[in-house]
Amino acid sequence: MSSTFSGISTALSSLIAQRTALDVAGQNIANANTPGYTRQRADLGAVNGTQVPSMFATNNGVGTGVQVTGISRASDPFLDAKLRTQTSGAASLAALAGAYSTLESGLGEPGGSGLSSQLQTFWNDWHDVSNAPDTLSTRSVLLDDARQTVDTIHTQYTSIATQWSDARTTTSSLVDQTNTLAANVADLNQRILDITNNGGSANELADQRDQALTQLAGLVGATTQARQDGQVDVYVGGNALVFGSSSHALALTGAQVFSQAAGYATDGTPTTPQDVHLEWADSPGQRVVPTGGTVAGQLRVLAPAATDGSGTGGVLTEAARRLDQVATTLATDVNTLHSGATTVSGATGGAFFTPLDPSDPTFSGGTALGPAALRISVALTTADQVAVAAPGAGAYDASVGQQIAALGSSTTGADAVWSQAVVEIGDRSAAATSRSSVAESARASAEQDQLGNASVDTDQETVGMISTQRSYQAAARVLTTLDDMLDTLINKTGLVGR
Amino acid sequence: MAVRVTNETIQRSTLRNLQTNLSAMSTLQAEMSSGKRIQVPSDDPSGTGQSLSLRATASQLSQYQRNGQDGDSWLTTVDTALTTALGYLRNARDLVVQSGDAGLGQTSRNALADQIDGLKAGLLTQANARYQGRNVFAGTSDAAQAFTASTSGGTTVYTWNGSATGSVDRKIGPSTSVRVDTDGSQAFGWTDPGTGTQSTVFALMDQISAGLRSGTNVTGTLNDIDSSMQSMLTAAASNGSRQKVLENTMSDVSSQQITIKGQLSNVEDVDMAATIMNLQMQQVAYQGALAAGARVLQPTLLDFLR
Repeated sequence: MSSTFSGISTALSSLIAQRTALDVAGQNIANANTPGYTRQRADLGAVNGTQVPSMFATNNGVGTGVQVTGISRASDPFLDAKLRTQTSGAASLAALAGAYSTLESGLGEPGGSGLSSQLQTFWNDWHDVSNAPDTLSTRSVLLDDARQTVDTIHTQYTSIATQWSDARTTTSSLVDQTNTLAANVADLNQRILDITNNGGSANELADQRDQALTQLAGLVGATTQARQDGQVDVYVGGNALVFGSSSHALALTGAQVFSQAAGYATDGTPTTPQDVHLEWADSPGQRVVPTGGTVAGQLRVLAPAATDGSGTGGVLTEAARRLDQVATTLATDVNTLHSGATTVSGATGGAFFTPLDPSDPTFSGGTALGPAALRISVALTTADQVAVAAPGAGAYDASVGQQIAALGSSTTGADAVWSQAVVEIGDRSAAATSRSSVAESARASAEQDQLGNASVDTDQETVGMISTQRSYQAAARVLTTLDDMLDTLINKTGLVGR
Repeated sequence: MAVRVTNETIQRSTLRNLQTNLSAMSTLQAEMSSGKRIQVPSDDPSGTGQSLSLRATASQLSQYQRNGQDGDSWLTTVDTALTTALGYLRNARDLVVQSGDAGLGQTSRNALADQIDGLKAGLLTQANARYQGRNVFAGTSDAAQAFTASTSGGTTVYTWNGSATGSVDRKIGPSTSVRVDTDGSQAFGWTDPGTGTQSTVFALMDQISAGLRSGTNVTGTLNDIDSSMQSMLTAAASNGSRQKVLENTMSDVSSQQITIKGQLSNVEDVDMAATIMNLQMQQVAYQGALAAGARVLQPTLLDFLR
């Protein structure tokens, strides 16, 4: 037999439990729109009846009510990990696709204002000069158009260099953000450990930490490993970024300016191109290679050109190298012919463009300083220095001019190099964009799954509230009934025959 | 496991769908408003390659067209000059035949000589014909005149100042050039049978004129006139055949230009009908997504609990 009044405490335990459940539902609804919030649930457990293994035990086997065993988070580590993996891949590809898209929109190709149409105008000017070698005006037009073409090459190169330094600045601030987040995670680890050691519930802190971990995955492709004690270790490229309650800072080092990445010293002397990479701030020289995240994508954008000439190096350095090739081909081709021609007055033509390369017959020797695309300039100063005549073939001969004009349709000329570069950038950009959009939809679906599990459904909470309310009402009714029964026992007993 | 759907997942997917639809619409609108299918190379990398090479070809063709027009003017100038010069030479021949009349007095012969002198001056003018400041009979030379007359030892000497080594060519195709000048020393040349020296038709005229004035019979020079007429005719025929070649090539270039323009338009320009159609369909999809969003996001269970 159990105590007469034990039912009251059973009903009371239900009242308390239902109220807690309602509090949790209230918290869920309050945070329905809070980013990163994971829905919680009051875990209810039935309380056993007292089992005293003795001969005179009075327990009838009925349990003694309900208790809240804990407040759990509905997080699914598998879905969280999937989201982080996808985020890290998608962020890296998005950075790459973004860089290609900026690069190609600056090319101005195909169109009437790009470098290719300026080169065409330049070659056509040579035809015009050849048609009228006696007039200075056509030569002046040629020189003006040549200067404009050279300016366009300079502008293209400069805008590539600007995009590079923008990307580096962005990457540097991303690394700072990573370090701040890593410190946050370490701090949260410590606080969560303290709270759980004290038997408390650190659900909201765990939400914050999960959000930070997803951001870290998106930044540097960080992977996580949970510990027994509830702390989470974070790894980048196999090394610990956060270990328990301590974090290590990353540092972005390597090329500071575009010329270093392109392989030029401050004075323009060609050197080995430097890459931009991550190191541990506390142990310089030890490289960290992020496997994903925006930073990994940016590092590919900032990388130096491939040494084997395959064009698979950094996005911007490869484009710059192509521009160098265009400049060198243009200058060398024109100079080779122009230096063998004579002007109207019979003087030898010499260099039309400043010679850039030892392959140029007018090159005076020494080391070429700085990138060809920036060095290229028109060497002639006055229109009468333009030479189109073959030596000894008459002052108004234009056979060399026609040969120069024909360079425009050469399959190895500057036009061909440039158009190949444009198609190459377009190809890579299209591939990067499509890979990025595939990765993004995979990330979106992983996010949908993760959110589907973790986010608050107000309908579900409403239903929960109704059932909580009903349970509360029923428990209250149990209390009333017991009270009624006690009333019968206390006030109505022993009144027989009255 | 059934996928759990919550208010937040619905919101996110609705937003993402709206975004996708809107960005597809903006791409189509950019195509429509610019009329170009390829905005940036990645829109169609191989199309970009084609477009670049077609644009280069189109630009070259229009340059060949310009070169050809210029060349045609040169050839026409040469043709006109030679035709006029031939006319003068025929006149001179008639005058020489006329001078054979034994009844002619010295006064009449002097008059004939004056006429011959006039024709010589006319021939010299034609031989110095110019197109846009260039002597068409002097090749690549920068001399002021193709033929100059100078007096040496009482006789007038005619010098051709042209360049024999270079020729004036116009490039009218990747590997087609047409010579547009004519060698003046050939067209106006004459070999003096008496001395065997290379001379000019002007010197011949001077000789005839001097003969007439001195009373000598000059009908013997008829053969000389014929032979220089022959060399002039040869030059004119060669000039004419080159003009024919040039005109044929030009008409080829014109038809190629039209073809290239068509190809360029195929590669670069949008198919308006298709784009309008796509835009319309995209608009329907967008409106559908908006309507679905309005329906899905609105109600909750709370709306039905009273």
